[in-house]
Amino acid sequence: MNTLIRLELTRALRNRKFLFFSVIYPSVLFLLIAGNADSGTKVPGTGLTVPTYMMVSMASFGALTAVLMGNSERIAKEREGGWVRQLRLTTLPGRGYVLAKTASAAVVSLPSIVIVFAVAAAVKDVRLDAWQWLALTGAIWAGSFVFAALGVAIGYLASGDAVRPITMITYFGLSMLGGLWMPTTSFPGWLQDIAKWLPTHAYAALGRAIEQSRAPHVQDLAVLVVSFVLFAGGAAWLYRKDTLKA
Amino acid sequence: MTTTASVVAFDQVSKAYGTVRAVDGLTLALRPGETVALLGPNGAGKSTTLDLLLGLKRPDSGTVRLFGTSPRDAIVAGRVGAMLQSGGLMDEVTVAELVRLACDLHPKPYRPSEVLVRAGVAQIADRKVDKLSGGQAQRVRFALATAGDSDLIVLDEPTTGMDVTTRQAFWATMREQAGQGRTVLFATHYLEEADAVADRVLVLHRGRLLADGTAAEIKAKAGARRVSFDIADAIDEPALRALPFLTGIDISGRTVRIQSSDADATVHALYGLGVYPRNLEVAGLGLEQAFVAITSAEEAKSR
Repeated sequence: MNTLIRLELTRALRNRKFLFFSVIYPSVLFLLIAGNADSGTKVPGTGLTVPTYMMVSMASFGALTAVLMGNSERIAKEREGGWVRQLRLTTLPGRGYVLAKTASAAVVSLPSIVIVFAVAAAVKDVRLDAWQWLALTGAIWAGSFVFAALGVAIGYLASGDAVRPITMITYFGLSMLGGLWMPTTSFPGWLQDIAKWLPTHAYAALGRAIEQSRAPHVQDLAVLVVSFVLFAGGAAWLYRKDTLKA
Repeated sequence: MTTTASVVAFDQVSKAYGTVRAVDGLTLALRPGETVALLGPNGAGKSTTLDLLLGLKRPDSGTVRLFGTSPRDAIVAGRVGAMLQSGGLMDEVTVAELVRLACDLHPKPYRPSEVLVRAGVAQIADRKVDKLSGGQAQRVRFALATAGDSDLIVLDEPTTGMDVTTRQAFWATMREQAGQGRTVLFATHYLEEADAVADRVLVLHRGRLLADGTAAEIKAKAGARRVSFDIADAIDEPALRALPFLTGIDISGRTVRIQSSDADATVHALYGLGVYPRNLEVAGLGLEQAFVAITSAEEAKSR
């Protein structure tokens, strides 16, 4: 089990394209979006400066990329290629494969969060208390498991050529509508009403609550918990179905 | 019958996909130390049989036991090493890393370096798995199947994609494995492999066990010796057709070709007819012809 996690990690760290997109890209995007904003401008209705606001968005986006993109396509491919079958002939428990995938994705998501923070602090003078930095890292990292479960579910749901478009639509849809790229306050009213029920919106809101030194909204927590239960439950169900069929 | 001494025991096992019966009431037992070939054409149900054996599929009815337990329990106990035709490999890791993983997952592992050498993949140990040729990938699969001290080794068409030299080296390794008292079961449609390697051949056709015996017995079952000769005088066809143990006859001009299930008795009776056969030849049928004979006889019966 540990060997499998280690191997999944080695492999993720070897894949430069994946590393670039999940670790470097969110920081680059952060600089592009927040780069021109001067550190005094506030995002309306939040009391947070643009760089502070976007830092959480991009850290969440980076973590989302690492756990969603990494898992779904790999799982679909390895299911089809027969590697999952081969693993079933070993002592590895059935869940072991999914757990190893999730664990290795979680390890990759951590640097993508931390690098965005480092860039924001160094380049855009974002200043927070020590407890806030720690709490942010912890919350965004823990929240990424919601999307890791979604990645696993998609990996077992789709196959072949379908998996990439489904992943992409889910990924961009969740990122954009959830307000990871731009504040949802800039959306028309009806879209804002939809956006606030998306797990990505709740995910970034959690981080922002920490930045604002206030307790997170109950609705956001509820959306995240329900999403996790739905995604993890769906993944487990699809996994079992796949096992019976294989 | 299911006994605890059986390595593998199938009892009335059936598995259907829709209306197609992939495995149909299969009952068989493998004893410790046997090298068994599961022989059949494509679509005979070989892969499904192995999937059922390994617990990758569940039978619709009947039971599959390995070492008296469920397939999954036997695998968890480290008693089974298997190489699937459809078994994929993990991409973007090296052969050595993958073999180390397999050793790590086995309850009674060998040293990875030993496994690499034995499977003949030591010289490609640092190569990425996705950069391997078909034959090399097969040997890596074999390495995964032999990463530990398993009692049963299951191989689904193991030599697919290997060239002749590699194939011979592979079977030499396999015989060594069998020589250590392991039970080896392999599916193949390379009939000469079954003939050359296996102590016991199971012929599978349309999900049913058609024949079970040594390669020699299988050949015999198909009327598997050929007697051919020329006759200078007039040919008494009815008398020839009445020869004992005759299972087929073909007369063209002065040449007669007979298939016999007991060539000695047939030839003896031939002399008894008072004819003088010239250029008499008695030869064994290859397993391939035997196999064709058995399956076509079965098809004729089911029609």
